[in-house]
Amino acid sequence: MTPRRWLDRQRRLDQGAGRLAILAGLLNGLLIVVQMALIAWLVQAVILHRTELTTLLWPLLLLLPVLAGRGLTQAWQESAGHRASSHIRAAVRLRLMQRWAALGPVRLAGASPAGLASQAVEQVEALDGYYARFLPQMWVCVLIPLLILGVYVWLDWLAALFLLLSAPLIPMFMALVGMGAEKLNQQHFALVQRLAGHFVDRVRGLTTLRLFGQTREAVRQVAAAADQYRLLNLRTLRLAFLSSAVLEFFASVAIAVIAIYIGFGLLGYIDWGPAPELTLFSGLFMLLLAPEFFQPLRTLAQHYHDRAAALGAAEHLMPLLLAEDQPQAGSAETTDAALRTDDIRDPTRPAIDIADLHFGHPGRRAVLDRFSLRVQAGEFVALAGPSGSGKSTLLQLIAGFIHPDAGTITVFGDVPGRLRLAWMDQRPCIVQGSWADNLRLTSPEATAEQMRAALAHAGLAPLLAAQPDGIDSPVGEGGRGLSGGQARRLALARVFLSASPLVLLDEPTTGLDADSEAHIIQGLQALVDEGRTLIVATHHPHLLAAAQRIVTQGRATAPATGGPASDETL
Amino acid sequence: MKRSDHSILAPWLKLILQQQRRLWIGAALMLLTVASAIGLLAVSGWFITATALTGLLLAAGVAATLDIYVPGGAIRAFALSRTVARYLERLYNHDTVLRLLAELRTAAFARLTRLDGTRLGRLRAAEWLNRLTADIDTLDNLYLRLLAPPLVTAAGIALVAGLIMIFLPATGLIIGLGLSCLLLALTWGLARRSRAASAELSARLEQLRVTSIEQLQGLSELTAYGMLERHQVEQQRHEQLLQQRQHQVARQIACANGLATVGVQSAVVLSLIAALLAFNAGQITGPVAVMLPLAVMALGEAFALLPKAFGHWGATVAAAARLNEDTAVPEAGPAATVSVPDRPHIRLQQVSLHYPVNPHLPALQAFDLELPFGAQVGLIGPSGSGKSTVAQLLVGLLQPTAGQITVNDTDLSALAEAQWLARIGYLTQQTDLFNESVASNLLLACPQASDADLWAALHQVGLDTLVQELPRQLDTPVGETGRQFSGGEARRLALARLLLKDPAIVVLDEPFSGLDRFTADGIRQVLAAWLPGKTLLALGHDETALPTVDRIVHLSS
Repeated sequence: MTPRRWLDRQRRLDQGAGRLAILAGLLNGLLIVVQMALIAWLVQAVILHRTELTTLLWPLLLLLPVLAGRGLTQAWQESAGHRASSHIRAAVRLRLMQRWAALGPVRLAGASPAGLASQAVEQVEALDGYYARFLPQMWVCVLIPLLILGVYVWLDWLAALFLLLSAPLIPMFMALVGMGAEKLNQQHFALVQRLAGHFVDRVRGLTTLRLFGQTREAVRQVAAAADQYRLLNLRTLRLAFLSSAVLEFFASVAIAVIAIYIGFGLLGYIDWGPAPELTLFSGLFMLLLAPEFFQPLRTLAQHYHDRAAALGAAEHLMPLLLAEDQPQAGSAETTDAALRTDDIRDPTRPAIDIADLHFGHPGRRAVLDRFSLRVQAGEFVALAGPSGSGKSTLLQLIAGFIHPDAGTITVFGDVPGRLRLAWMDQRPCIVQGSWADNLRLTSPEATAEQMRAALAHAGLAPLLAAQPDGIDSPVGEGGRGLSGGQARRLALARVFLSASPLVLLDEPTTGLDADSEAHIIQGLQALVDEGRTLIVATHHPHLLAAAQRIVTQGRATAPATGGPASDETL
Repeated sequence: MKRSDHSILAPWLKLILQQQRRLWIGAALMLLTVASAIGLLAVSGWFITATALTGLLLAAGVAATLDIYVPGGAIRAFALSRTVARYLERLYNHDTVLRLLAELRTAAFARLTRLDGTRLGRLRAAEWLNRLTADIDTLDNLYLRLLAPPLVTAAGIALVAGLIMIFLPATGLIIGLGLSCLLLALTWGLARRSRAASAELSARLEQLRVTSIEQLQGLSELTAYGMLERHQVEQQRHEQLLQQRQHQVARQIACANGLATVGVQSAVVLSLIAALLAFNAGQITGPVAVMLPLAVMALGEAFALLPKAFGHWGATVAAAARLNEDTAVPEAGPAATVSVPDRPHIRLQQVSLHYPVNPHLPALQAFDLELPFGAQVGLIGPSGSGKSTVAQLLVGLLQPTAGQITVNDTDLSALAEAQWLARIGYLTQQTDLFNESVASNLLLACPQASDADLWAALHQVGLDTLVQELPRQLDTPVGETGRQFSGGEARRLALARLLLKDPAIVVLDEPFSGLDRFTADGIRQVLAAWLPGKTLLALGHDETALPTVDRIVHLSS
C-alpha cells in the first residue's frame, strides 16, 4: 500500500466533519461571487449610468449578509476541518498503542522509546494539516474555479479561455515540483528522527561524555547535525516555494492579461469574438473574480507541505501499523479467573510446564535448546548460569513477551501472557514522579498503607522514614536521587504489592549490599509462605541458597552451593 | 501581551536582532510583495474603468485619448514583481530563520554540557529532547510570523490609507484607523485571548510524550502486571486534554480568520460607498473611484497571515520561558587554570553534600578521606550511604555543599577541569552506552586507538568472542542505552572503555555488579594486572565486590 492510499483510507475515521468543511468552503466561494457581482453592478450603475448611490439601497443592504456569511463560512470550514483531523489523529494513535502492546517488550527492545514516542506524538500530529486543511481545500479548489469559470463563460468566452489555458498548467507544474519536495520531506522526517535520537543519546550520556573529555566534540557534532538539518530543510523549502512561485506567476500573469484584454476590449480595439459586448460590469466583475479563481489553488499550495508532511509521516507509521499480527496471547485478556486461590494452592497442578523448548535470536547461537522444566505451584526455583546463558530469555518466555520457536509452555494451565504476573527485570523502569507514582504504575489501587508495607518488605523502611514527604517524596527518571540498590528495591516493592500467584525476578539482588540482600531474601521467603510461585534468575549465592531448587543452564558450570537446594543441570 | 512576555522573549529577540541587516532585507521583500499586490489590483481597476469610459466616448464619436502603455506596463511590472519578491522573500527569510535555529540549538546544547549533575537530573531525557527540538523550533515563529508580518501589514495599511487620503482625506483616515484597529484585534487581541490555551498546548503535548515513553520503557512491567490497558486509558485521557486545548485554539484562530475577512471586506465596501458618493458629487473621477476600493481589497492578503501566528503566541512565549529557565547556567567564576600535579594527592575534608531535590536528607555528611598517589583504597557501605556521591565529588561532577576537596593542597575547583578529567577514569554505577557502533563507543575513551587496540581491550574483558560472532563485528550498533547487549555485557564494554583510556587515577563503582562469578573472577585478574601504579578508589557494598585494595574505608548510612 502506498502512503497516499493509506492516508486516503484513514479518511473514513473523520465522522463526516471533512464533508462539512468542503460544504462550508463551497458556500464561501458562492458568497464571494455574489459579493463581486454586487460591487461590479454598483460601479456600473453609478459610474456609467450616473445613478445616485443613495437610490441603490437594496444592493448595498444585500452586501451586509453576504459579508457576514463570508466570515462565517470561512471560520466554519476551518473548524470543521480541524474536527475531522482530531477524529483521525485520535484513531491512529489508538492503533499505535495497540501495536506496541501486541509487539510486547522484548520485540520492541531494539527500538528507541524516544523514537517510538515521537511517532505517536510528532508524526501523528503531522497528519493534522492534511486532514484539517489540505483535503477540504482540495475539493474547494476544484469546485470554486469551476464555478468562476462558469461565470466567465457566461460573461465572455474569450476571457474564460485565458483562464482555462492557464489553469491546467498550474497543477501540472505543482505536481512536478511537488514530487521532488515529497521525496525530500521523507528524508526530512528520517533526519528529524535521527536528530532526535542523537540529541537524547547525547543528553542521557552527558556525564560519560564529560568524563571522557568529549563534550566539545559532542557540541561540534550537534552543531554539524543542526546545520545539516538546516541545509536539508532549505532544499525542501526551495522546491516547495518554487511550486507556489509558479502558481503565483501564473495567477499574476492571468490577472494582468485579463485586465489588459478587458481594457482593450472596452476601448473597442478588439472587434472580434465577444469583446465588443464587454461592459464595465462584466469587465470589472471578471477582474474581481480573476484573483478568486486562483485563490483556492494558492491556499492549497500553502497547505502543500501539510500533504508532504503527512505522506512522510505515513511512510513511517505504516510499517508498524500494517505489520501482520503474529498470533499472540493478548495481555489485554488477562483473566482474573486464574487468580482463584484454589489453583494456586493445588500442589498437584504444575504452575509452569515447559516441554522441548527451543529459542534463538537471529544471528546468534540458540539460547535455549530442547529445554524442559516443570515447576509446582508454591515452589521457589532459582535459575543459575553465566550471564548470557538465557536465564532472562526463559523468564521472558514464561511471561509471554516472546514466543518459542518450538516446544510448549503453559502457565497455570494457560498460554503465557494471560495471567497477571509480578515481574522485575535487570533494568526496572523507574519513572519520574513520587515513590507512590512508581508503585501505582503497576498497582493503581494500592492504598498508602499497603505501599508502606511493601516498601518495608523491600527493605526501604529506614530510607522512607528519613523522607520528609514519605511515599510522596520525589524520584528522578531512571531512579536519579536514589542509589542503584535503592532503585532496585523500589521496583521490588511492586512485587510485594501485587497479588499475583507467579513472581518472576531477574537478578533481584544485583548491586545490593549484604544487608539489603538479606532483607529481600526474607521478603521473598514471605512470598513463598503465602503460597506464591517464585522463579528467580540469579548467581548470588545467598539467593541460590534460599531457593528450594536450582536449575542451571548454559556453557559454564556455576559454583554449587550447599543448603537444602537440589541441583539439576541441563 | 503582558510585560512579563516581553522580558521572557527579550534574550531571544536580542539574539535575533543581531542579524539586523538580514531582517531588514527580509521585511523589505515582504513589503514589496504586499505593495505589488496592491498595485496590481488598484491599477487594473483604474485601467478597466478608464477604458470603459473612454470606450463609451469613442463609441459616441467623441475624440478621446487614453494612454494605455503606462498602466499596461505597470500592470505587467506589478505582476512580475509580486511573484519574484514573494519567492525571494520566502527563501531569504527561511534561510535566516534556519540559521538562527541551528545557532540556538547548538548554543542550548553547549549550555547543557556546562550544567552540573544536580541541575541536569531535574528533567527527563525526553524533556531535554523537547527543549532542543520542538521548543527551539517554536521560536522560529518569533521573527517570521510574529515580528515581521504585523509591521508589514501596518506599512500596507499606511500605504493604502495614504493613497485614499490623496483623494478623500476623511475616508482615508477612517479606513486607516479602522484597519489599524483590526490589526490590533488580530494580533494583540487574539494573542491575549488564546494565550492560556496555546501556552498549555506544548505542555499537553509533552505530557503525551512522557506517558508514551513511560509506556514503552515500562512495557515489561505494565504487560506483566496486567496494567497496560489501564496505562493506555491514561494516555488517551492525556490525548483528549490535548485535543480540547487544540480545539479551543483552532476555534479562536478560525474566528479570527473570519473576522479578518469581514473586516477587510467591510473596509472595501465602505471605501466603495465613499468613493461612489464622491463620484456622484463630482469630487473624483470614475477610474479613481474604482481604484480605491480595489487597493483596500488587496490588503486582505497581508491580514490573512496574522491569525495563525498570533493564535500561537502563548506557545511561543511558553517555549522561550522553558528554555530560559532550564538552560540557565549559573554564573561561572574565572576559568580554573591551575595545572594538575604529576603525583596528585587527594584529600577530602569534612565534605557534605545536599541535593536540592531532597534538602532534608544529606547524601553525604562530614566525610574525610585521604588518597595519596598510588594508594589503592576500597570504600564500603550499604546502598544509599553516599559511595557514588564521594566518587562524583572526587571526579568533579558535583561540588560539595560544605567542606573541602584538595589535590596537593590546591582546591579541586581551581584545577583545570579538562586536565583533571583526562587523568581520572570513572566507571559509573549506571552504564551509559551510546546508540552507535561498538567501535565508536570504545573510541570515546581514546579517539586515536586502532582496531587492534579495540580488540585487545575487548579481549581483556572477555567480550572479543561475542563481538567476533556478530555479523558486523566492531561496527555492530549497541542499540539505545545498550539494550542489544545484556546488562553484564554492557558493563564489560564500559570497563573496556576505561582500560583504553588508561588513566592515572581510577574510580570503580561496583565494578562487578551484574557479572556472574565466573566472569567477575576473570575481570578481577585483569584489574589486578592493570591497577598497580595507579591511584584507585573502588566502591562496593562489601569486600567481595571489590578488587584487591591496600586499605578499606567504611561508610555508614
